Amino acid sequence: MNLKYFKNIIPAAALVAAVGLSSCTKDLDVTPIDPSKTMVPDEAALFTKCYAQMALQGQTGANGDCDIDGLDGGTAGFVRQLFNANELTTDEAICAWGDPGIPAFNFNQWDASHPMLQGFYYRLYTGITYCNHYLDVCADADATHVAEIRFLRALFYYYLMDCFGNVPFATALMTTPPEQIQRADLFNWIESELLEVKDQMMSPATRKDTDNDYGRADQDAANLLLARLYLNAEVYTGTARWSDAKTYAEKVINGPHKLWTTGTNGWSAYQMLFMGDNGSNGASQEAILPLLQDGIKTTAWCTSLFLAASTWKSDMDTNSDYGTSEFWAGNRARSQLLAKFFPQGDAPEATISEMATAAGDDRALFFGKDRTLVVDTPTEFTSGYSVGKYRNTYSSGGNAHDSKFVDTDFFLMRSAEAYLIAAEADARINGGSTTATGAGYINALRERANTTTRSSYTTDQILDERSRELYFEGFRRTDLIRYGYFGGDKSGQYLWDWKAGSQNGASFAAFRNVFAIPAEDMNANPNLKQNTGY
Amino acid sequence: MMKQVNIQFPMRMLGLILGLFLSVSAFAQIDVKGHVKDATGEPIIGATVRVDGTQAATITDFDGNFAIKANQGANITVTYVGYQDAKVKAAPNVVVTLQDDSQVLENVVVIGYGRAKKSDLTGSVTAIKPDEKNHGLITNAQDMIQGKIAGVNVTSGGGTPGGGATIRIRGGSSLNASNDPLIVIDGLAMDNQGIKGAANPLTMVNPNDIESFTVLKDASATAIYGSRGSNGVIIITTKKGRGNMAPQVSYSGNVSYSVKKKTLDVLDGNEYRAFIKSYYGADSDAAALLGTANTNWQDEIFRGAFSTDQNITVQGGIKNMPYRFSVGYTNQDGILKTSNFQRTTASMTLNPSFLQDHLKFNINGKFMYAHNRYANEAAIGDATRMDPTQPIYSTDGKYNNYCGYWQWVDNGASLKDETYPTMWNRNTVANPLSRLYEKYDRANSYDYMGNVEVDYQVHGFEDLRLHANLSGDLAHGKQKTDYEKWGPSNFYYGNSGYSYEKKYNLTLSTYAQYYKDFLKTQHFDVMVGYEWSHNKYWGDSYYAGVYPTTTKQTITNADGTEIAAAGQPYNASTSIWKSENYLVSFFGRANYIAWDRYMLTFTVRRDGSSRFKEHWATFPSVALGWKINEEAFLKNVNWLDELKLRLGWGKTGQQDGIGDYNYFATYNVNTTNVDGRYPINGVNNDGLLYRPDAYNQDLKWETTTTSNIGLDFSVFNNRLSGSVDYYYRKTTDLINDAYVSAGSNFRNKVRSNIGSLENKGFEAAVTVRPIMSKNWQWEVTTNFTYNKNKITELTGESSIVLTGGISAGTGNNCQAHSVGHPANSFYVFQQVYDENGLPLEGVYVDRNADGVINDSDRYFYKSPAAPYTAGLSSRVQYKQWDFGFGLRASFDNYVYWDKEAGYSNTAKRFDSSFGYLQNTIQGAIERNWSTYDHALSDYFVHNASFLKCDNITLGYSFDKNFGVGGRVYVSATNVFTITKYEGIDPEVSGGIDNNMYPRPLTFLVGLNLNF
Repeated sequence: MNLKYFKNIIPAAALVAAVGLSSCTKDLDVTPIDPSKTMVPDEAALFTKCYAQMALQGQTGANGDCDIDGLDGGTAGFVRQLFNANELTTDEAICAWGDPGIPAFNFNQWDASHPMLQGFYYRLYTGITYCNHYLDVCADADATHVAEIRFLRALFYYYLMDCFGNVPFATALMTTPPEQIQRADLFNWIESELLEVKDQMMSPATRKDTDNDYGRADQDAANLLLARLYLNAEVYTGTARWSDAKTYAEKVINGPHKLWTTGTNGWSAYQMLFMGDNGSNGASQEAILPLLQDGIKTTAWCTSLFLAASTWKSDMDTNSDYGTSEFWAGNRARSQLLAKFFPQGDAPEATISEMATAAGDDRALFFGKDRTLVVDTPTEFTSGYSVGKYRNTYSSGGNAHDSKFVDTDFFLMRSAEAYLIAAEADARINGGSTTATGAGYINALRERANTTTRSSYTTDQILDERSRELYFEGFRRTDLIRYGYFGGDKSGQYLWDWKAGSQNGASFAAFRNVFAIPAEDMNANPNLKQNTGY
Repeated sequence: MMKQVNIQFPMRMLGLILGLFLSVSAFAQIDVKGHVKDATGEPIIGATVRVDGTQAATITDFDGNFAIKANQGANITVTYVGYQDAKVKAAPNVVVTLQDDSQVLENVVVIGYGRAKKSDLTGSVTAIKPDEKNHGLITNAQDMIQGKIAGVNVTSGGGTPGGGATIRIRGGSSLNASNDPLIVIDGLAMDNQGIKGAANPLTMVNPNDIESFTVLKDASATAIYGSRGSNGVIIITTKKGRGNMAPQVSYSGNVSYSVKKKTLDVLDGNEYRAFIKSYYGADSDAAALLGTANTNWQDEIFRGAFSTDQNITVQGGIKNMPYRFSVGYTNQDGILKTSNFQRTTASMTLNPSFLQDHLKFNINGKFMYAHNRYANEAAIGDATRMDPTQPIYSTDGKYNNYCGYWQWVDNGASLKDETYPTMWNRNTVANPLSRLYEKYDRANSYDYMGNVEVDYQVHGFEDLRLHANLSGDLAHGKQKTDYEKWGPSNFYYGNSGYSYEKKYNLTLSTYAQYYKDFLKTQHFDVMVGYEWSHNKYWGDSYYAGVYPTTTKQTITNADGTEIAAAGQPYNASTSIWKSENYLVSFFGRANYIAWDRYMLTFTVRRDGSSRFKEHWATFPSVALGWKINEEAFLKNVNWLDELKLRLGWGKTGQQDGIGDYNYFATYNVNTTNVDGRYPINGVNNDGLLYRPDAYNQDLKWETTTTSNIGLDFSVFNNRLSGSVDYYYRKTTDLINDAYVSAGSNFRNKVRSNIGSLENKGFEAAVTVRPIMSKNWQWEVTTNFTYNKNKITELTGESSIVLTGGISAGTGNNCQAHSVGHPANSFYVFQQVYDENGLPLEGVYVDRNADGVINDSDRYFYKSPAAPYTAGLSSRVQYKQWDFGFGLRASFDNYVYWDKEAGYSNTAKRFDSSFGYLQNTIQGAIERNWSTYDHALSDYFVHNASFLKCDNITLGYSFDKNFGVGGRVYVSATNVFTITKYEGIDPEVSGGIDNNMYPRPLTFLVGLNLNF
């Protein structure tokens, strides 16, 4: 046997093996080499992300990864689904499209597997987990920032409470499924959070888009949300809180976020709130929480572009003053919305500017040419008057940044709402109609709209006024529920075209005053009990 | 790869075993003169001639002759690389004909990290040599195994030239992680990440260079690949040259012509006009939009397409160095206009050996260049929806901005360009021809693959071999896409850009093997090894349009200044990405064979993966084999050639298709997305966002445990042979993107281990040779597979996991995973029909009888995966003629006809919101539904069982009469399909039939020449 070679090979092989193996197993401990990934937190970028959750679809602008699975980003956007859930289900709006989920909204027939409600729900929860994460890793950050993120988390929970009632509740990241919280308990938590963080937030101030901190929530955002919470407290908890609502609404009214009352270049002050340059034309003084949009930098299908494009058809663009190439012709008014401006049912077949004149109210931004007033065919866009409230045009006459994506910021909260809350609370306290103070709040809005005023308003008149002022801004379902006109015993007292799927309107059950917990989460979270009726 | 190395392993055993039965008698020595030739009669130069049991040896001379002294009647063994060993009894004059090595495949198969004699296998392994005669058009290696192997399902993605396929071995063992088998080419485990322009790793290899496929199916065979073995392994070995032989040149080539087989039966122009007028009224807005043309859009977008394929091979050997070089070129036009695939491949193999064959090298180099011209497949869907009453082109000046293509147009005021009074209405259907010609989309991909394999048989300790293989794959691909500004996709601005990808895969594997025979009847061998592999991939992309020079639009710069937009880039987007993973492994195998009848194999692999927090896992297997026919009681049964029982058990893992960084917290940073910023002045001026990414630190390997029992048999001198296998596979810790409870993670779906599933199955493969005469040979190969897939457990958080997105709506899913049902079962409502048998819109059976129709009335209805599949190929040879065909069948596979559901809303054939018309099918008009809301009906789930004839081939072979031998043949591919399914093609990967690129019928004429 010749072992000469063998003797040499064994030590050599052993050496190679020893060196090779020990270094190679260390290779397994990788860290990301992807330039779009990092493991080191950045306070400002995490802070802004919590805000962006309401205005963007995800990390990649209008197209691409949308932070949420199961629904495309353009559809699952916050504002779009806020609109769908709170407007399409009411007397204000109806949509012509056939996308799954739209008819169920139009006809009050949603269930637990409604795709868009699922998207809305997860959009809000994703935002909550971002806030929770921020509060975890950036606890030592600027106290104002921390307070604001707690405000945002409370805001997301507010929408969940309002829409879905009893929902899973997590204030920190967890490895187990969150427990379900009852609506009234969640109300209490939101209230205490807001009261706790309110004074740590920025002092209220009016800001333009060129100013620092434009787009952030200040103390009046917390005050307005508290006012909104108290206004609907009876719905959420069974106990009315009218005077609290009035107190907090008046804090806003008396703060710096004044109504914008100055029209320019033929645009009314009211119109200027919804135009491409609303961040810079002065109207933003009324904005308490603007969601930022920019045709180049901050693009999304689901925010102001959705509000504009979904309501416009190209035949409305007679003066090429609309400002984007997008016309989706879906959402338009039910006749009951026009009746708020034309109680006699005599809304003319007119252009937008003619309509406002005919109504004697700057807020009647409707287009009636080649349209029918009554919605005979829900799937026809021209069946029903069109709404020309949102556009990308600049009131200054300047050019929008992009021909498709809009620059129009969306004022998720604006001070006009405080006037309406204060007036309604005032009327509720005062036996159903306003005192002079309360009437003054409504008159302030009506004067801004260059329309008539009165010395007193009933609660029902205030509900109509809310519609005139806030239509297509995502409030209506909550308002109708508060008045009992949505689902339930009084549902039959106020009918609208196609309510409950019947052309002349029909009542529907009270359980529909909250949406169903999405089936996906019912599957995923064993702690959840479905809302009654679903 | 390890051909020369290990080929001697079984042969050597054979020799040893045979030796036991041979008695060496003392005869007088004689002079043996001999001649060694190959099957074609060519002399073999340099073959080794040895007298068994002695030191006597020589090699053949330049004429293939040798002379040696041997005892009369002694055994003389002739060996030569690339040929089977031959034995003759010593006699004064002997002629030895060496059989081509390719036939060795009958006896020896490549397995993971080695080779084994087929008769000694204990696992479920199928080795096939591609049938070089009986086949249709082959562009990708996957086409060669389609329908040929029991338990292996190959479903091409459609008719896209150069397109990929879904390969499933024994059903899918995973839900969301990859179900693709591991593909090993010449020892290099390929990663399944495609590269721009190449559909899958199999694209990289010229099918003409493939020597053999080995499919490892059960765990005792695949466990040696550990965490990558769960989905089976396909080992591809490429052809090699043979030693010391004059260069041989061969050519093969073919020309083919493809045509479309079937299109969707939509309304023609006249039918459509009648429908619109009757549905909406003759004076309606809808009727006013009707045109006067009769355009069959589907006919317009397809064409007859020519393709060619050319290959040249040179092989031979210079002394101790066999070589083989080949080049191939494929140019394939697709039947969808503008689609084309071109591929150039080159390969080189060198197999030098030194130190009396103790040190052997196997050096492979492969190169591929593919050029893909992708058609805009959006045209396929558009052609089925575009109004048939409109013309393709219009001379109306209004369409000048549309390159003359007729389109649905809208007011262009927002473009702020007086030369554009109109713009394409984005919400309508685009002119399909404009879709095809607006987009110039092409990809170039390059792949360089190489390996150097060294095998050293230790001097003086010949039972020990050391083996090392260093292999690498470097690939890069660039896809460039240009959209014309007159086209619908990027009207007015156009769009141009590229996406570039690069990756490498570097693997070093080493192992040592030790053999020992003892007590004359016992054999033992053991192999231990180590492997390190690194995959890295990265890329970037850039796309942008341009503001036309005529635009009056402006751009606001970051500093707030406004400039004219004309000529500036529009909507530019970039991305960059980079990732990597490592796999470090230790593995071993031990074989024990007793009395050549009882076989025991044990393998183990310990894998460390960088993709999990807990890197390490161990994957063992054990298998037993019993050659029953070698037992005394069967030894004398002459008609029984082989009867072998195999029992195997093992564990394998799965770690592909799950991302590289899923187990630790990271942030996504939108660095390159300049349109997705959220600037808040004073806090975050550039608006860069950090998104906490969902992660799951508990993520662990999927583990599949497989038990297999199999029987191999061969009777009547191989007239009838085959194997049957029964298997049970259970996968635990299934990885899937599952919904997690809202509020618990950063995303509503997180990659998680969510449950278990099982596959039970039965496979049979039988080869019959009914006629084996001098002039007539007939061989029929059949296979049959039954596989039943069932989910057995889903963790509490996900009792129903929706999957299978459909086109109606966004986020609508028609399939789901749930316990007790096959993965991806259709999860739909049960349709109610009227007295005429028409489905009533939105009327479903209240399955849970609670008085309301809601989500809980959905039920599990059938599965897209066929439980029963079968294949049959037949080849008859008469003298020089051959005739073959291949059939393939699939039973009880169901398809959701997404296309049909997409036509549901008859009321929206005229869309008044956007003012356009779209076509439909007669069936939808009869249904007369008026929303898109009820797509989740079982009405749209159809039985898509089919029998397909994959190919029919007729060939004529000719000998080297004029110095050139070869074969000419004609063939048809995808000849016919028998099915009840009414869609274009019942064979749909994933079971959701939308706008598939139709598979063409192809006629082919081919020629092979050997010089």
